[in-house]
Amino acid sequence: MKLHLIAAMMFMLAAHGHAKDYPAEGETQERLTIYSTTDTVVFEAVLKDFQELYPHIALRYEELDATPLYERFMRETSAGETEADLLLSTAMDLQVKLANDGYAASHDSANSRALPRWARWRDEAFGFTFEPAVMVFNRKAMAGRKLPRSRAELLDMLKSATDLWRSRIGTYDISRSSVGYLLASQDARQSSEFGALIEAFADANMQIEENSSTLLDRLESGELAIGYNLLGSYARSRVSAGAQLEIVYPQDHTLVVSRTAVIPKAAPNALHAHRFLEYLLSLRGQEVMATRSGLPAIRPEIDGPDNRMGMADAQVGLLRPISLGPGLLVYLDAQKKRRLLNSWRAIIGPAPTP
Amino acid sequence: MRESRLSLRGRLVGVMALVFVGGTVGLYLAAGVYAQTAADRSYDRLLVGSALSIAETLSITGKEVQVDLPYAALDMLSAAPDDRVFYRIIGPEARTITGYDDLPAMPKQEADGDMSALALSRFFDAEYRGEMVRFALLGREIAEPGVSGWIWVQVGQTRRARDELAHELMLRALLPIGPLTVLSIGLVWFGVGRALRPLGRVGQDLALRGPAELHPVASPVPSEIVPLVDAINAFMRRLDANMGTLRAFIAEAAHQMRTPLAALRAQAQLAMDDEPEDLRRSLQAVERNASKLSRLLDQLLADATVIHRSDLRRFESFDLLQMTHKSIRQAVPITGNAEVRFETSFAEAPFTGDELMLREAIKNVIDNAMRHGGAGDGAIDIDLFAEDASYVLRISDRGPGIPLESRERVFERFARGETSAPGAGLGLAIVRQVVESHQGRIALLDREGGGLVVRLQLPRGRQ
Repeated sequence: MKLHLIAAMMFMLAAHGHAKDYPAEGETQERLTIYSTTDTVVFEAVLKDFQELYPHIALRYEELDATPLYERFMRETSAGETEADLLLSTAMDLQVKLANDGYAASHDSANSRALPRWARWRDEAFGFTFEPAVMVFNRKAMAGRKLPRSRAELLDMLKSATDLWRSRIGTYDISRSSVGYLLASQDARQSSEFGALIEAFADANMQIEENSSTLLDRLESGELAIGYNLLGSYARSRVSAGAQLEIVYPQDHTLVVSRTAVIPKAAPNALHAHRFLEYLLSLRGQEVMATRSGLPAIRPEIDGPDNRMGMADAQVGLLRPISLGPGLLVYLDAQKKRRLLNSWRAIIGPAPTP
Repeated sequence: MRESRLSLRGRLVGVMALVFVGGTVGLYLAAGVYAQTAADRSYDRLLVGSALSIAETLSITGKEVQVDLPYAALDMLSAAPDDRVFYRIIGPEARTITGYDDLPAMPKQEADGDMSALALSRFFDAEYRGEMVRFALLGREIAEPGVSGWIWVQVGQTRRARDELAHELMLRALLPIGPLTVLSIGLVWFGVGRALRPLGRVGQDLALRGPAELHPVASPVPSEIVPLVDAINAFMRRLDANMGTLRAFIAEAAHQMRTPLAALRAQAQLAMDDEPEDLRRSLQAVERNASKLSRLLDQLLADATVIHRSDLRRFESFDLLQMTHKSIRQAVPITGNAEVRFETSFAEAPFTGDELMLREAIKNVIDNAMRHGGAGDGAIDIDLFAEDASYVLRISDRGPGIPLESRERVFERFARGETSAPGAGLGLAIVRQVVESHQGRIALLDREGGGLVVRLQLPRGRQ
C-alpha cells in the first residue's frame, strides 16, 4: 500500500511538472490554464505579450512532457474535471488523436484559415510553429572534417570510421520522447536509409536522451559530436547564446514539426482559450513568438531566415512538414507502436551505456 | 363587371412558375438521393480500400493475430481532409486486437444472413463519439493451427466530406434550374406579348373606324385568332346587311308615306274650292287616304315591334285558341260586313311563344284576306288543327289569289302582289318574320274553287 502511495505521489509530481502563474492586473476571476510542452522560459515572452493585450486574464502555464500532458488531460477529462483550457504540444500525433476522438473544440477565424492546409485539421488542431528536425554537430569535434549534408553522407561518415564516433552520437529516446517517436516514425515512413542509419548508430553505441536540452548540453560540452533529429529551434537558441554548434538541414529531406494547439471541448475558460489561440496565430503573436521566444513562425507573412518562408527561400533542403491528419494515428496504434519500439530496442540493445 | 380581368400572360407565367417549382422540388428530392448515393459510393471505395490494406497485413504469430497498420490505410482517408477516422481489428471471440475497442457493431438486421457472404465488405452508419460515422466492415476467415475463425477489419469515417460532396453534387444538379426558370418565364412573358400583338392591331383597326365602316378586318392574324376575326367579320356582314335593309326600309317607308300625304294635301286643297255637294266626295277621298296612311303607320309600327321583339324572344305559355279568337275580334271591324268563320276541334291549344307578335301576325293575315278577298262572297275561313308536332292555322279567302311566280316576292317588305290593291305590302313580311322566329313555316296555297290559303305551321315544341 505504502509503496503504491509513494509511486502515485511520484507520478503526480512527474505529471505535474512545473506550473507557473502569471497573475492578472487587479482583482479578477478571469483565468486561462495552458498545458504545454514548451519550456516556460522559452514561452514566457509570448505569455507576457498576451497579457499586454488582456491584462485582466490570469495565466497558469503548466509545463509537461507530451505523453504526460496527454495522459493528464485524458485522466482529468474522463473524471469530468478538465482543468486545461488550451493544450500546446509538439506531439502532433497525440494532438490529432485528441481531435479525432472528439475532445477538441472548433476554432475558425481568418487567422486560422491563413495557416497552410497541412497545419490545421478539422478546425480543431492547429500547427503554430515551423520547426525542422536537424542534425547538430559540435564544431570542435568536427574540426577539419566535411560536414555531412544528408542522411546518406552521415551514414558514409559513420561507416568509414565507426570507432571514431563511438558513443558520440545522440538522439531522442523514442520510447520516452514523444517528439522523438513522432520523428522516428516519420523517418521510418519517408526515408529508405533510416533502418541502416539506426543500425549504424547502434553500432556506434548511440546515446539516447528523453529531451532536447540534455542532448544539447552534452553536444555543447563536446561529449557528443553528432545530434540527430533535434528540433532546430532549441539548437539555434544555443547557437545564438554562443554555443559552438553547427546546424545542418538534411538535404535529402528535412522533417518539419509544428507545435500543435488544441482547445478541449470541456475547457472551463473556453473563451479565453480561443482568445489566446487567436493571438498565437495572429501576426503579432507569431512575430513575438519568433523574435522573443525563438520559435519559428508558421505564418508566411513573418520574415526572417529562421521562419517558414525564410527557410524555404534559403533552400536549406527539401522541407517536409508533418501533416496534421488521421495518418498520424497509425503510429499511435498499440500494435504498430509496440512493433516499432521493439525493433528500436532490438537495434540499440538492452540499455544505453553511458 | 371587370373585377376578374384575367391576363393571359399572368396565367401562363403562373402555370409555368408552378411547373418549375414542382419540378424543382421533385428534382431536389431526386438529386438529393442520387447525390447521397454517389457520394457514399465514392467514399465507400476509399473506406474499403483502407480496410483491405489493413487486412493485407494480418498475420498470425503463435496464437496472436498481428496487424501492421499501414500508414496509407489511414492517410488515404484524408482524401476527406476534415473527417475523423476510426478503426478496429476484431479477432475470433469478438476480441479487439487493436484500435478503438468501443466502436459500434453492425446493426443486427444487416449482420443477419450467411456469414460467408460477409467476406465481402459491408457498410453501415452509426453514431460514435457524437458524430454520424460511416463504417466499412471487412471479414477474413483464418484457419491456422493457433487461430481459427473470423477476423474483422472495421474502418469508419465521419460523414463530413461525403455530405459536403453530396450537397455539392445536388447543387450542381439544381443550379441550372434557376436561370432556366427565369429564362423560360421571361420567354413566355415576351412571347405572349408578341403573340397577342396582332390582336391589338385588330382592336386598333376596329377602334379607328367610323360608324358606317363595316368592311371585314383585313390585317393578318395568327391562326389561333382567325375564328375570332372571322366571327367579327361575319357579324359585321350581318350588321351591314341589316343596316342596308333598315336604310331601304326607311327610304321606302318615307316614300310610301309621302304619296298618301301628298294626295291628302291635294284633296284638302281641292275641297276648299269645292261646292258643298262635292265637298262630301272630297272628304271621303281624304278619309280614304288618311285611313290608308294610318294603316301604313300601323304596319310600320307592327313591323318595328316585331323586329324588336323577335330580337328579344320573350316567350311565354298561352292558349293559341284564345289568341286566334282575340285576333279575329281585333281584325274584324264591328261595323264591317265581312264574315269570318273559325273552325277548330281544340278546346284549348297550349303554346309557348310571343303572344303579342303572333296576334299581330294573324291580324295582318286576316286583314289582308279581308281586303284582297273581299271580291268573292267575302267570307273568310279560318281553321286550326294539329299536324304531326305542329299547329296549323289556315286563313282562306275567296280573293284573286297570288300568282305562283310572285308568291316569294310578297314576303319582301313593300312588295305587293297587285299594285292596284291598297296596302303598304308590309303585312306578309311581318308575318313571315314572326312565324320564323317561332321556328314555324308560312305557305301560300291556292284555294279550291278560287282564293288564297295562308298556311301557318307552328311547331308545338316542348309542351
